[in-house]
Amino acid sequence: MKEFIAIFKNELYKTAKRPRTYIGFGVILFICLTLQAAFYNDGKEILSFFTNQIDNLFNVHGNVLNGNLICFLLLQTLIVQMPLLVALVTGDSVSGETASGTIRFLLATPASRSKIILAKWLSGLCYTLLLLGLLGFMALVVSKWIFGSGDLMALNSEALTIIRGDDINWRWAAAFVIAFLSLAVVASLGQMISCFIDNSITPIVSVMAIIIIFTIIGMFDLPSFDLIRPLLFTTHMISWKSLFEDPIPFSDIYFSCIVLIIHIVAFLSISIFYFNRKDILT
Amino acid sequence: MKHLLILIFCLASFYSKADADAKQIIKELNRKFYALNDYSANIFMKFDIPGVKMNSMNGKVFFRKPNRFRIRTKGIFFLPKQNPMQNISNMFLDTSAYTTVISGYEVVDNRKCAIINMIPLKNETDLILGKFWVDEANPLIIKSQITTKNNGTIETQNYFGDMVQYALPSKIVIHIEINKMKMPKMMAMDLKKKSVDKSKVNLKEKGSIELNFSGYKINTKFPDTVFTEKEE
Repeated sequence: MKEFIAIFKNELYKTAKRPRTYIGFGVILFICLTLQAAFYNDGKEILSFFTNQIDNLFNVHGNVLNGNLICFLLLQTLIVQMPLLVALVTGDSVSGETASGTIRFLLATPASRSKIILAKWLSGLCYTLLLLGLLGFMALVVSKWIFGSGDLMALNSEALTIIRGDDINWRWAAAFVIAFLSLAVVASLGQMISCFIDNSITPIVSVMAIIIIFTIIGMFDLPSFDLIRPLLFTTHMISWKSLFEDPIPFSDIYFSCIVLIIHIVAFLSISIFYFNRKDILT
Repeated sequence: MKHLLILIFCLASFYSKADADAKQIIKELNRKFYALNDYSANIFMKFDIPGVKMNSMNGKVFFRKPNRFRIRTKGIFFLPKQNPMQNISNMFLDTSAYTTVISGYEVVDNRKCAIINMIPLKNETDLILGKFWVDEANPLIIKSQITTKNNGTIETQNYFGDMVQYALPSKIVIHIEINKMKMPKMMAMDLKKKSVDKSKVNLKEKGSIELNFSGYKINTKFPDTVFTEKEE
């Protein structure tokens, strides 16, 4: 256990030392602040884009443009980009060291290869958690501070759901847990591909390509994709949105969580299995 | 020729009588509206709007002549642009702006109602046609159907309790028709859902908003600031 903790601390240190780690934080800060400024200036116009279908008939009363809505829109926007930021760090956790040759020093320690992979995986999850924590702080806490709190007007393709302000905090907590599970899938995928390849760029690009392809397949409503769509992890990554429906489709959410966990376990297991048998030739 | 003249005379007498009857009913109705300068009441709103999922909510309603209206509550809610609580009394009180005629009689909610058609006399008004089912025995608007240039047709049904002397209902049911909501999957980021069937997108769906009033306070001269407070 001691050697595992030592390797884990070492991995955390290495993650913290790499400049690319901070790109993700910078991107989140930039996007959140930019969108918040845009909503602050042009919020009503942006909002009318969402409400134009009911604007002819109804007057909408109450503070619609509040922190909860901004957080919802930010999370919806960033959940597509966040995996790319996660892949940027986790995608070269093994391959980067293989390419630079430092993996030999790591393997010379008493820790087993499985422990090394686990330590790297946990370190990747810590980074993901911090990234998500920053997003939660910026999107929810800062937005509520700027725009105030209130009911959430959540929009999906079929309905507009008004979630009352006093029934929303637990939904945010659950949404961030599901978002963490989703990003953990990406981190695990990145690490798995990183075990297969010996240069640091290819795994990062591969993860990004997989996410982009899966997302595009999920978005196009073609009958040929109906069979594939439920099998793609990107389809389940967005299941946090179901928490903002009425009634909440809990069975769908549980199913998505199980699918995501299965992906995490599968990717991690393959990483450990492959890394244990890998010849280090560099 | 003689028969034609008799027919014209009969029709003229009928319409003249219908017009006089309508004016009499509106006069009695307006007597109730005149007595009311302002009111406040508790309100409970229930929403059944197609494509909008919203829980019921409580609040407080304020009205001041001629058409200042506010529902003070914590949260988001929708009300039709043609708010019957805001506009109808104002519409009736301006008797120079419209002409009326009784187009028939109908029993609504066990009351014998005269169907009064209100036709605006000025072109610039938003109203195209107002149709009101008014209780003959005790003039109250039981049902209304108002068509305007900007906001289409809206139907309401009123239920009265203990505020009949001011023609204030204890419950209003506003019937609405709305197109099915449509939002591209890509915009809504709904990867898990299938897009709405395009053949159903333009189908109108019926819905309603129910407003229940209680604890009316009449002519209490509450401050004007309630209408200018920031919405929560």
